[in-house]
Amino acid sequence: MSRGGKAVLIAIVVFAVGVCCSRLLPNFFSARRKGNAMEAGAARHLRSWAVPAEIKHNPNPLQSSPELLGEAAHHFADHCASCHGNDGSGNTEMGRHFYPPVPDMRLPATQQLSDGELYYVIHNGVRWSGMPAWGEAENDPDSWKLVLFIRHLPAMTPEEMRGMEPFNPRSAADRAEEEREEKFLQGEPVEPGAPKENHHSEKTK
Amino acid sequence: MKKAIWIVVGILLLSSASWAHGNLEHVLGTVTAVTDHSLTVKTLDGSVKVVEFDAQTHFLRGEAAATAKDVRVGDRVVIHAHKHGEEFQAAEVKIGTNATTATK
Repeated sequence: MSRGGKAVLIAIVVFAVGVCCSRLLPNFFSARRKGNAMEAGAARHLRSWAVPAEIKHNPNPLQSSPELLGEAAHHFADHCASCHGNDGSGNTEMGRHFYPPVPDMRLPATQQLSDGELYYVIHNGVRWSGMPAWGEAENDPDSWKLVLFIRHLPAMTPEEMRGMEPFNPRSAADRAEEEREEKFLQGEPVEPGAPKENHHSEKTK
Repeated sequence: MKKAIWIVVGILLLSSASWAHGNLEHVLGTVTAVTDHSLTVKTLDGSVKVVEFDAQTHFLRGEAAATAKDVRVGDRVVIHAHKHGEEFQAAEVKIGTNATTATK
């Protein structure tokens, strides 16, 4: 069989398996499922194999410094923390409910990846996981700065995390609520507000 | 094309902000009682809520770190808490910087 024929055959088999899974296992494509250890291990190995060797062994071209870490922390708070949390734990409303759940990047499973692997994941994203690709294709120093920040996560202090909070994405309603709370704490009179709307709250889990 | 993708990703991230903070109830009021594991708060609408706290709860007065022992009856507090059924578990307690009575 020609190479093209094999590719078509594999595509047909994959499609057929997908159709069977979706028909026979109604929750197969649900993100509400919890993955098992074998699936997670296989996914990690596949991802590792997918990183080209010359990139995997690339050292970070940037040296860690308070300035670069501060810049990366603000970047992380703005672009990444909605899913990963400011502390990198993944313990956020969205992070907990991805499939697979967002990893705790403070733990060895992430910290033992090489700088090149971390860069590759940030720069190229991970298909079918919810992790998007970031940065310009050719020149992406911001992703190397984020690698520095990920290395720093296990040593993050509560003060550093609070310093990131102003950079977290907020709606206009959230900003108005913060101002109202600040006025209240400073002793100014405030009116009782409408109850905060809790979309997709704990009750829905 | 890339610029358009960045814009879409940005909009998605911004629109997700309410989800990221969506699981915390905001309790504003005046402390009427303090125990070693809970605060009783008279809220702005006059209702009374008991909020539990533990070692994971962050206490703040202004920008400075504080502890549960810094909370006094009569203090204004803003509490961000997880709600489980009718129970509140504080993630963060901000203590007022001006010790005036809160509720009207």
